[in-house]
Amino acid sequence: MTSPTPVSQDSAKHELGAERSVYFRIKRCDGPGKATRWERFKVKVTRGEGANVLACLERIAANPVTADGAKTTPVVWDAGCLEEVCGACTMNVNGKVRQACSCLIDTCAPNDGDEVVLEPMQKFPIVRDLWVDRSRMFETLKRVKAWTPIDGLYATGPGPKETPERQQERYIYSTCMTCGCCLEACPQFQQEPDASKWDTSFVGANAIGQVQLFNEHPTAKELAPERLDAMTAAGGVSECGNAQNCVKVCPKEIPLTDAIAAVGRAATIHGIKRFFQGK
Amino acid sequence: MAEFTTFEHDVLVIGAGGAGLRAAIEASACGCRVGLVCKSLLGKAHTVMAEGGMAAALANVDERDGWRVHFADTMRGGQYLNNWRMAELHAKEAPDRVRELESWGAVFDRTKEGRILQRNFGGHQYPRLAHVGDRTGLEMIRTLQDHGIHQGIDVHMEVTVVTLLKDGQRIAGALGYDRERGRFRLYRAGAVILATGGIGKAFKVTSNSWEYTGDGHALAYDAGADLKDMEFVQFHPTGMVWPLSVRGILVTEGVRGEGGVLRNSEGRRFMFDDIPDLYKNQTADNEEEGWRYVIGDKNARRPPELLTRDHVARCIVREIKAGRGSPHGGVYLDIGWIKEKISNAEEHIKKKLPSMHHQFKQLAGVDITREPMEVGPTTHYVMGGIDVDGDTQMSTVPGLFAAGECAAGLHGANRLGGNSLSDLVVFGKRAGEYAAKFAKEHGQPTVDQGQADDAMRDSLAPFDRAAESGAENPYEIQHTLQDLMQNNVGIVRNEEEMAAALDGIAKLRGRAKHASAHGHREYNPGWHTCVDLNNLLTVAEGVARSALERTESRGAHFREDHPEKVSDWGQWNLILRKGTDGAMQIERRRIAERPAELTTIIEEMK
Repeated sequence: MTSPTPVSQDSAKHELGAERSVYFRIKRCDGPGKATRWERFKVKVTRGEGANVLACLERIAANPVTADGAKTTPVVWDAGCLEEVCGACTMNVNGKVRQACSCLIDTCAPNDGDEVVLEPMQKFPIVRDLWVDRSRMFETLKRVKAWTPIDGLYATGPGPKETPERQQERYIYSTCMTCGCCLEACPQFQQEPDASKWDTSFVGANAIGQVQLFNEHPTAKELAPERLDAMTAAGGVSECGNAQNCVKVCPKEIPLTDAIAAVGRAATIHGIKRFFQGK
Repeated sequence: MAEFTTFEHDVLVIGAGGAGLRAAIEASACGCRVGLVCKSLLGKAHTVMAEGGMAAALANVDERDGWRVHFADTMRGGQYLNNWRMAELHAKEAPDRVRELESWGAVFDRTKEGRILQRNFGGHQYPRLAHVGDRTGLEMIRTLQDHGIHQGIDVHMEVTVVTLLKDGQRIAGALGYDRERGRFRLYRAGAVILATGGIGKAFKVTSNSWEYTGDGHALAYDAGADLKDMEFVQFHPTGMVWPLSVRGILVTEGVRGEGGVLRNSEGRRFMFDDIPDLYKNQTADNEEEGWRYVIGDKNARRPPELLTRDHVARCIVREIKAGRGSPHGGVYLDIGWIKEKISNAEEHIKKKLPSMHHQFKQLAGVDITREPMEVGPTTHYVMGGIDVDGDTQMSTVPGLFAAGECAAGLHGANRLGGNSLSDLVVFGKRAGEYAAKFAKEHGQPTVDQGQADDAMRDSLAPFDRAAESGAENPYEIQHTLQDLMQNNVGIVRNEEEMAAALDGIAKLRGRAKHASAHGHREYNPGWHTCVDLNNLLTVAEGVARSALERTESRGAHFREDHPEKVSDWGQWNLILRKGTDGAMQIERRRIAERPAELTTIIEEMK
C-alpha cells in the first residue's frame, strides 16, 4: 500500500557539530537616565543546534558572568512569540535593527570566536538594557486616527464586497506588527523625551502605512480627511526625507515607500482642497 | 508595609489578547472607566500566534452552513461535555463578530464574489474559517488594538497581577506590580474580567508563549471560584522539535491540508496503520485517494493525516516510542514530496503556506519545499478553565468574569480548530457587557487593606528567603514541574503515573515555599518566576487530579488503563474548588439538561 520513500535530509545541517564560543558585546543600562556601559559575555553554542540570539541571552541570564569572569546582573530583554510574529524582541544586532528571535547564531556569527553586538533601539526611551518603551507608537496611531469610529449600533449587514485583488493590495499594510524597525532606521524620526512634542514630531513610516490601510478601507475611509489633516500638519508625511531606510529594514516587507508616496499625493490634493475651502 | 499606588476603575480587565481587548472595548462602550492590564507590551499577546482562522457560519462558501450545523459540530467535537448554552450563543453570534472585525478594519481573504473567504478545517462540516492568510491572530490583535486605543481605555502594560481582592463575597479589584520596577499597584474595580489565556507553560513542550502560566485559572481558584474540565488539555500533533531553541512552536494543520504527509524513520506513512473504526468510512486507505482529496476531488476520502488532533498525536507518540522516530525525537512531516505530483510545487507551497516557509527558513534553516520537517506533539490549548455562566460569563464569585481560553465550557472535551478565535470575540464582548452592567448595578466595593498587605508580604517573601539555608532556585522547580507534567500527565495517561505526578506536585509545592529571589525588585526575572510558580502548581495539580478522576478516554483525555469512552461519564463535568483547609477538592457535577430543540438539532446532524 505505502511505498517507503527514503527520508531525505541534509544530514550535515541536522547533526550536532562541534561546540564553539561566541562573544556577545551588549550595551547595558540600569534604567532611564542612567549611564550606559558595555559588557562582554562568552557563550557556548553547538553548531547545528539552531540557537538564536534569545537562546544565548537565556544562557547569559542563567550564568551572569562576563567574559572576564566578573559577576554581573542578568541582561534584560523583551520577547513574546519567538517566531517573528509579535515584534517584541526587536533590537539592534550587529548594527542592524531586527527581531532577535529569528537571528540564528550559525548565520550571524558562523565561526568560533565571532562576536555579536547587541544594542537596544535608540529611538525609544530605554527601560532597561535591551528593553525599550514603545508606547509612543500607540500615541501616534491615535494621532493619525488609525481606526474606524463605529459603535455597537452600526449595522454591518452582510458586509462590503471587495475583490481578492484589492484585498491583496491592502493586506500587506495590515501585516504591520508595530515592532519599530522602520522608526529605528529612519533619519527623520528622533527620540523625543518631551511627550508634549510628540503630536508635532514626524509620525514615521509605520503610521503612514496605517493611514494608507485605513483610508482604503470601505468604512474607515469616512475619516480619510481627518487622517490627511494629520498628514499635512507639522510632523506629517512631508517631513519624510526619502532616505528609504524603512522599506529596507521592515521584517514584513511592507512597501512603506509606496504608502508614503500614495499618502503624500493624497495629502497634497487634500491641502489644495482645504486651501480653497479657506480652512 | 510596602507602598502601593491605587487606581480606580469600574471594570478591570486582566489580559490583553483577543478576549481581553474585546471585553475592554465593550465595557468602555457601555460607559465604564476601564483598566486593561497586560503582562507584556500591548499587541504582543499570545493571540498573535493563531494561524488558521476563526470559525463562523457565514455561509459565504457553502450556503448549506448555518448556526445549527456549527453548533452540532462544536458539540460533537466536545463529546457533549460542552456548556450547550455557550455552544449555541457562539454559533449564533460568531458571524456578527467576524463582520464587526471587518468593519473595524480587519482585512479578511476574499471569495471571487468579493465576500469573506472561508476555509476547511478538521471537524467543521463546511468551509467555515474566515482567515487572513495563515496569520489570522495577528490581524485580530492589530484590529482590536487599533480600535481599543481610541476608546480611552487605561492600559497598564508590563504588569503582573498577584491576587484578586474581595469585599465579602463579591470581587473588589486586584493587586499587582509593574514588572519594570517592582512597584505595587492596587486596582479597585466594581467588576473584574479574567482573560489571561492558557496553561501551556506547565508542560515542557508547548506552542504557548511565556505568558501562559495559568494566572487567571489560579487567581480565580484562589478567590474561591470553581474550575471545570481541567483534565482536557489539547496536544497539537505537529510542533517543531528542532532546533531546540524553537521546540514546541506550532506547525499549522494547514501543512497537512495542503498535502503534507507524516513518515517515520523508515519512510513509511504510518497514519495508514491505525484508522479508528468511527472514521473508516470517511478516510482514504491508500495514498492515491488521499492525494485526490487534497486536490479537491469531492468523491475522494480525506487522507489519514487529517484525522482528529488527539488521534494523530497518539500515533506520532507510538512511532517515537517504538524507535521509529527522527533523530531529535519527532517524526517527519513532508510537504516537498508534492513536487512528484505538481510541476510548480515550490511556488505553490510558498503561496499557500508563507508563514510556515518563512518560519522554518528563519528559525531552523530548513527549506520546506525541499526537505521534510521534524515534528512532534506540543501542548497547545486547555479546554478546561473557570466555570462561567453561559450568557454572562460570570464565575461563581459575584463580579468576577472570565472569557477566552481561561474560561471553560464552549469546547467540552476537545476544541475544534478555529473555534478559539471566535470564542475570544463572542465571549469577550459578552463578558465586557455584563461586567459593565454588574459594576453599574453594584457600585464600587470597599477594599480590605489587610488583603493587600498579605498579598504584598507573600509576594516579597522570596527576597527574605534568599539568605536562608534551604533556599530553592525557582527555575529548577519550574523545570522539574514541566518535566513531570510532560512525562506523567501528557498525551497518554495512566493511574500510576498520574498518582506519582500528584505526589511530585505536592513535594514541589513544599519546595516552592522556599523559592528565593536575589537582588532587588527592579526587573527581576527570578522573582517573577517565584510568583508564577504558585499559578503553575495550581493548574498542574488541577489537570492531574481531574485526569486521575476521569476513568475513561474521551476527546483530548486518553487513559491507556481506561481506553474506552464510558457513556455515563458523558453526564458529568469535574469541578475543582479550594477547600477551607486550602486543599484542592474535586466533585462531579451533572451537566444541565439541554432544551429539547438543541437536542433535536444534535440528533438531526448526527
